[in-house]
Amino acid sequence: MILDAPLTARVAGIDPLSPTLKRVRFVPERGRFPTAAPGAHILVTLRGPERIWKNAYSLVTPPEQRDSYAIIVRRVEASRGGSHFLHDHLKPGDPVEIGPPTSLFPIASLARRHILIGGGIGLTPFLSYLPVLRARGAAFELHQYCTDDESEVFAGLLAEAGGMAMIHGRTNRRSVAGILADQPLGTHVYTCGPERLMAAVEAAAFAAGWPSGAIHKESFGSAEGGAPFTVTLARSGRTVPVSESQSLLEALETAGVEAPCLCRGGACGVCLTRVIDGAIEHRDHVLTEEERAGGRLIATCVSRARSDALVLDL
Amino acid sequence: MTDQGIKSRPIYAALRRDPSGRRHLYVSAGAEPPPPALCDGPLEGWSVGPPTAEGTRTPPEREGERRFRSASQLKATLARRLATERMGLRLYAEGPEDFLWDVFGIAQEHGLGRQEVFLKQAGTLARRVQCVHCKTLNEGVSTTIVRCAGCGANLFVRDHFSRRLSAFQGVKVDAEQPGDVPPAERAYP
Repeated sequence: MILDAPLTARVAGIDPLSPTLKRVRFVPERGRFPTAAPGAHILVTLRGPERIWKNAYSLVTPPEQRDSYAIIVRRVEASRGGSHFLHDHLKPGDPVEIGPPTSLFPIASLARRHILIGGGIGLTPFLSYLPVLRARGAAFELHQYCTDDESEVFAGLLAEAGGMAMIHGRTNRRSVAGILADQPLGTHVYTCGPERLMAAVEAAAFAAGWPSGAIHKESFGSAEGGAPFTVTLARSGRTVPVSESQSLLEALETAGVEAPCLCRGGACGVCLTRVIDGAIEHRDHVLTEEERAGGRLIATCVSRARSDALVLDL
Repeated sequence: MTDQGIKSRPIYAALRRDPSGRRHLYVSAGAEPPPPALCDGPLEGWSVGPPTAEGTRTPPEREGERRFRSASQLKATLARRLATERMGLRLYAEGPEDFLWDVFGIAQEHGLGRQEVFLKQAGTLARRVQCVHCKTLNEGVSTTIVRCAGCGANLFVRDHFSRRLSAFQGVKVDAEQPGDVPPAERAYP
């Protein structure tokens, strides 16, 4: 079944986990939520007084849990405001719109062993992997990299999800290369976290001779702001301003343009739009080097203009 | 007769070394040395001596070379070897189609995926044919029609190849008109 319509829900509870981390639980307004795949994320529409954010968050509830969904959100200083709104203004009982869960980070069905490597809040998709891997009796290891301050918070979340994890703090950490150095055939690695960690995982796996199909990455929240610019829509002739704290996609949505999107993190490629004129600052994980150099496609959810203006085929 | 319009058969490219691998193992159902395109660095080479050489085999000349008495012995050793192998291995196989997919099945069972195994058909085109009626595997079939060693049915050898069974499918040729068996042609030398 493909669900398109947003799910109407309300905030059932907000647990502060640390000064910058909150877990938000949503319940459906009617009936039950759809079953989500392990590693799935949802698009949460946040309606602030002046603007609307649509942010993607990994579900941290077990896939079969349908009476509520939970996400964990970090309050990011340099954010576009969504995480601030969620931390500072959202309260229990508030209505929210949630997109149907989508998974771009599935568990590989042919893998014989799974190595999960999380960095900081990048642990979240793995919290929905754990019950599934355990139910399947799968062989797996989970390694969580974080600051010493947060190791207890993550240890607590992992204990709730059933444990079997190693926490690597700042002062006492095993190298990613060491983890991947001597794994049996059929091992797959999954990583979610800061770009540097994911790049290190990928480099270590390639160095140990792993095939690309055994390396899985999930990245979200790379929609950082940047210099403001304007975008002209060639088909309608309209001009839309993109502010410092907005993504191009958000600016289009604010202007009422129906722009395609799915992951909002530069990972899925659904939002790719043809560029007619202007220089692009590519920030996605989808386009090949060739396509980037060609400068004819932009992932509107994360990428921006390097010039003052862009002309899009919209 | 040989092109039956079935387009699902595997296509094999020439073997070349995959530089992303860390260890490389070449297994062959024949006695020929590995192709030069694989030898650009350390390579283990496993081969099978012909039955005619029984008792006269000389020890391998190169390091990493092993000779087996039969393809069966090679496959059994490969299974034991892969059970203890680690990520980073690339496996190359060369030989008749049944041998290739037996090797692929062993590799898959031990966790190797499509990006880690490379196959190249060589040697006889004779087919392993599964009788779809009695499930007997008939080895070394070189004709378009074969009498099943299991149930005696006259089987038409279809181009339908099962990668799982490493075998072509053989279907009773005279099911509609019992006894109406066309002459067999030698098509798979």
